[in-house]
Amino acid sequence: MTEPAKQPNDTPLDDSLRPHIYDGIQEYDKRLPRWWLLTLYGAMVFAVAYWGYYHAYEIGTPPAKALEAEMAANAAAAANKSGEITDELLWKMSHDVQVLSAGKATFDTTCAVCHKPDMTGLIGPNLVDNQWIHGGKPMDSLKTITEGVLAKGMPPWGPVLGKQKIAEVVAYIMAHHHPGEEIIVVAGWTPPAGVVPPPPAQ
Amino acid sequence: MSTETTQTKTRIEYDDTPVRQFMIASIFWGIIGMLVGVLVATQLGVWQANFKTSWLTFGRLRPLHTNAVIFAFVGNMMFAGVYYSTQRLVKARIASKLLSRIHFWGWQLIIVAAAITLPLGLTRGKEYAELIWPINIAVALIWVVFAVNFFWTLARRNEPTLYVAIWFYIATIITVAMLYIVNHLSIPTSWTHSYPIFGGVQDALVQWWYGHNAVAFFLTTPILGIMYYFLPKAAERPVYSYRLSIVHFWSLVFIYIWAGPHHLLNTSLPVWLQSLGMIFSLMLWAPSWGGMLNGLLTLRGAWHKLRTEPVLKFFVAAVTFYGMATFEGPLMSIRSVNALSHYTDWTIAHVHGGALGWNGFMAAGMFYWLAPRLWKRPLHSTSAANMHFWLGTVGILIYMASMYVSGITQGLMLGATKEGGTVLAYPNFIEVVTSTKMLMHIRALGGLMYLVGFVMLAWNVWKTARGAEIVNGSVEVYVPEKSAGMGLGGGFINAPVIYTTLLIVFAAGWGALPGAGSSFCIFGLIATAAIMSMSFEFSKAGWNDWYERLLANAVPFTALTAVSVFIGGLVQIIPTVMVNTGASIEGMRQIPYTPLELAGRDIYIREGCYNCHSQQIRTLVGDVLRYGEYSKLGESIYDHPYQWGSKRIGPDLAREGGKYPHSWHFFHMRDPRQISPGSTMPDYPWLFTDKTDTAALPNKIAVQRKIGVPYGPMTDVEIQQACDTQAAAIAAELKTAGAEVPPEREIVALISYLQKLGKAEKVTHAETPKTAAN
Repeated sequence: MTEPAKQPNDTPLDDSLRPHIYDGIQEYDKRLPRWWLLTLYGAMVFAVAYWGYYHAYEIGTPPAKALEAEMAANAAAAANKSGEITDELLWKMSHDVQVLSAGKATFDTTCAVCHKPDMTGLIGPNLVDNQWIHGGKPMDSLKTITEGVLAKGMPPWGPVLGKQKIAEVVAYIMAHHHPGEEIIVVAGWTPPAGVVPPPPAQ
Repeated sequence: MSTETTQTKTRIEYDDTPVRQFMIASIFWGIIGMLVGVLVATQLGVWQANFKTSWLTFGRLRPLHTNAVIFAFVGNMMFAGVYYSTQRLVKARIASKLLSRIHFWGWQLIIVAAAITLPLGLTRGKEYAELIWPINIAVALIWVVFAVNFFWTLARRNEPTLYVAIWFYIATIITVAMLYIVNHLSIPTSWTHSYPIFGGVQDALVQWWYGHNAVAFFLTTPILGIMYYFLPKAAERPVYSYRLSIVHFWSLVFIYIWAGPHHLLNTSLPVWLQSLGMIFSLMLWAPSWGGMLNGLLTLRGAWHKLRTEPVLKFFVAAVTFYGMATFEGPLMSIRSVNALSHYTDWTIAHVHGGALGWNGFMAAGMFYWLAPRLWKRPLHSTSAANMHFWLGTVGILIYMASMYVSGITQGLMLGATKEGGTVLAYPNFIEVVTSTKMLMHIRALGGLMYLVGFVMLAWNVWKTARGAEIVNGSVEVYVPEKSAGMGLGGGFINAPVIYTTLLIVFAAGWGALPGAGSSFCIFGLIATAAIMSMSFEFSKAGWNDWYERLLANAVPFTALTAVSVFIGGLVQIIPTVMVNTGASIEGMRQIPYTPLELAGRDIYIREGCYNCHSQQIRTLVGDVLRYGEYSKLGESIYDHPYQWGSKRIGPDLAREGGKYPHSWHFFHMRDPRQISPGSTMPDYPWLFTDKTDTAALPNKIAVQRKIGVPYGPMTDVEIQQACDTQAAAIAAELKTAGAEVPPEREIVALISYLQKLGKAEKVTHAETPKTAAN
C-alpha cells in the first residue's frame, strides 16, 4: 500500500491513518487478522475439494442414491430379524398384559380418533361387534391396518407404526374377541347419526 | 461534481426532513410489525387466538408480520440512515426534495396497501414476495425514485471519493432492484391475482435466490453501510481497517448471491445447485465476519463509553448478534446440519437473532443517536434507553433460547427412527406439536418483552422531539476540482478485475465442462491464482492506486458491483430455466390440476397454508418414512407458484392426496382438534359458507396455458361443467360419510386439491405432456 505522506517514517504502516476524512470519520488500514484470512482461504479450499469430491470427479454418492441404499439396507436387516406372525401368535399376544397396555396406548393416540376409544366406531367402523368389512381374523386385521383400505378411508399404517406396534394394536383389538367367534362380512359402515357433528349453519 | 476550476467555499444545508419522516415511520411500523409478531407467536401456542376469523388467522398474518418487519420497519430505517449519512459522506444536499417526498409517501402507501391486502388473503403465495402485482409495480417504481435520488446526489457530491458506507448503499440499490424484479415476474389473471412465470423447481430456485438475498441486500448490506457511518461517529474512533473494508465488501457482494440454494438442501433441487449453495455459504462466513470485526474493533479505545452510552450498547450488541447469525448461517447450510435444522424452529431462532438482534438493535442505536441531532434537544431519558436495551436483550435471549430448544426437539423427534431405521419413533406429528407447545408461550413472552422495549423507544423519541426545534445539519465545503475520470473501461480493464474474471471463468469451466476442458480449467484456476498473488506482491501500489481512482468514479464502481452480483444468479438460474422444464424430470411428471383443483389450490395459497405445511419430501430417512417416497423434480413442475414451503408447523403435504377420505379433511378443516387432538391449526368455518370463485377460472387457465401448463382447449362452459361434475362427486361422497355440504362451497374445491397432491405420472423421455383431464 502507498504510505500517506503525512505519516512519520517511524510509524508502523499498520497504524497509519488514511488521508481521507469523511464527515469526521477516519480509517486505519490495519492488516487483515491472520486467523480471519485462514478462515477465508480454508473455506475456499474446502469448497474446491467438496466440488471435486461430489461433482467434478463424482467420488461421493449423490444424496438420493445414498438414501435408497440406506433404506434398502435397513429394510433387509429388519426383515432378517423379525419372525413369522400368525393368527395363533396374535391370539396369544391378546392375553399378554404388557402387549395390551402398549397396544392400548397406540390405539388411543392413533386409532381412537376414528374408531372411538371404546372401539364402537365413529368415522371408522365398530371393532367390537362381529361385523367385519375386510375379514375378522387377527391376520386380516393386521393386513388391513398395515396396508390400509384407501377406498374406505383407512390409511396404511405399516410405514408409520411399524410391525411391532401394529401387532400390539391387533392384539389389543382381539382382546375384545375370542377365537372361533362368528364373523359376519358386511359391505361397509355407516357412521352413527349424531356422532358426526352436523354441518355449520348455512 | 462541480466543473469549477478554482476552489470556492460554499455552505450546504442538508435536507433532514426525509430522515425525520422515515425515522418516525420506521418506529411506527416497527411497533405494528412486532405487535403482529407477538400475535402470530401466540397463535402457535393458543389456537383460539386465530378467533375463527379469516383475516386474523396465522396463515394470513404471518406474511403481514414478515413483510412489515422487513419492508416497513427495516426499510424505513434504512432510508432514514441512508439519507442522513449519504448527504454528510458526500457533502451534498439530497438532490431532489420532490423525489424524497415521493419516495417517502409512496413507500408508506405501499405499506398501507400491504397491510390491507395481506389479511384479505390477496397474495402471490411466495415468502416475503406475497404482495400482489399492482403493489409490486409500485415498489419497483418507488425503488427507482430512491435510486435516482441517491445517484443524483452522488453525482453532485463535493467529496471526491466514496466512503465504504456508500459502497454498501450502491450494492443494495442495484441488487434489490434485480432480485425484486426477477422474482416478481408474473402474468396477471385479474387486478388482484397473478401467476408467477416460473414454476416448480425454477420457482423454488428463483424464490430463494431472492429470499436469501433479500436478507443479504435488504437486511444486511444497507445496515452494514449504516454501521460504517454511525458506529465510528458514536464511538468517535477511526474505523479499524480500510483494507478489511475492501476485502469483505467485494467478497460479500460476490459470494452472497450464490448461497440461495442452501434453503433447498436435500430437496429435489438438482444436487449441483445444492452443493453450490452449501460451499458458497461456507465461504461467506469470513466476509460476513469481516464486517463484524471492522465494527467491533473500531471500538478499541472506546470500550469504556459502553458503560454510559446506550447508543454504543445497542451497536455493540447488534454487531455481536450479526456475528452470531452469520456464523450460524454457514453452519446451517451444511447438508447434514440442515437435515436437522430445516423446517424447524431453529430457522426461526436464527432469523430472529438477525432481525431482533442485528436489525432491531442497529435501528434502536441509530434512532437514539439521531433524535437529539434531528430535534435540537438532548435525549429525553438515557436511563429509559438503557432499560430498553436490557429488556430487549433479555427478550431476544428468551426468544432464541426457546426456539433453539423447540427447533432441535422438532428436528430430532421428526427424524428419529427405531427397529433399525425402518419405523418412526414418533409416528404422530402431533406428538411434536404438543411437546413443544410450552416453548411457544415462552417465545411469545420474549417477543413481548422486545416489543415493550421498543414502545419505550417510541415514547423516548416522542418526548425528545415534541416541541423541540427541528434542525438540519449543514457544512462548509470547498467545491473540489474535477478530477480526471477513468471511464467505464478503466473500471474493467485493469489487473485486479482481469485476474478475478479469469478465476471465475476457470472455476465455472471446471464445474461445467466435461473431460479435458475441465482439467484445463482446474489447471488454469490454480495457475491464475498463483500468478495473481505474485503480481499482487509486486505491484501492490498499482492495485491500490487503481482502487483509489475507482472510488472517485461512481459509475464504474457501480458497474463493477452490478457485474459481481449478476454472476451468481446467471450461473444458477439460466441452466435451471433452460433444462428443468416439464418434458420429463426424474421419471415423474405432475398431472395438471383440473379446474376445480386449481380453484382449490388458489384457496390453499390464499389461506397461506404454505406458512405451516411444506410440499417437499426430502432425501432423508425420516422424511420418507413419515411422508412417503422422496419428491421428484417433475412432481411440482406445473406449480405456479411452487409450494415447497420453508417450515413444518404441521406435517408435509406433498403426498397428502388419497391418504385420508374426503370426510377426514372436511371435519379436520372445520375443527382440527376433533380429528387431531392437540392440534394448533385454526378452524376454517368460512370455507363451509363461501362459494368457490369459478368465474375467475377461464382467465386463470388461459394464463396457466401461457406459462407452460399443458391445458387443452376448454370453453368457459366446459370449465364450469368440469367444476360442477367433480364438486358434485365429492359432495356426494362426503354425504355418505355424514358430512353434508353444497358442492359449490370452497371446502369442496380445497378437498379436491388436497386429494390431488402427490398425483404424478411415470414418464419416459419420448412422451409429450398430456393435456389436463377434466
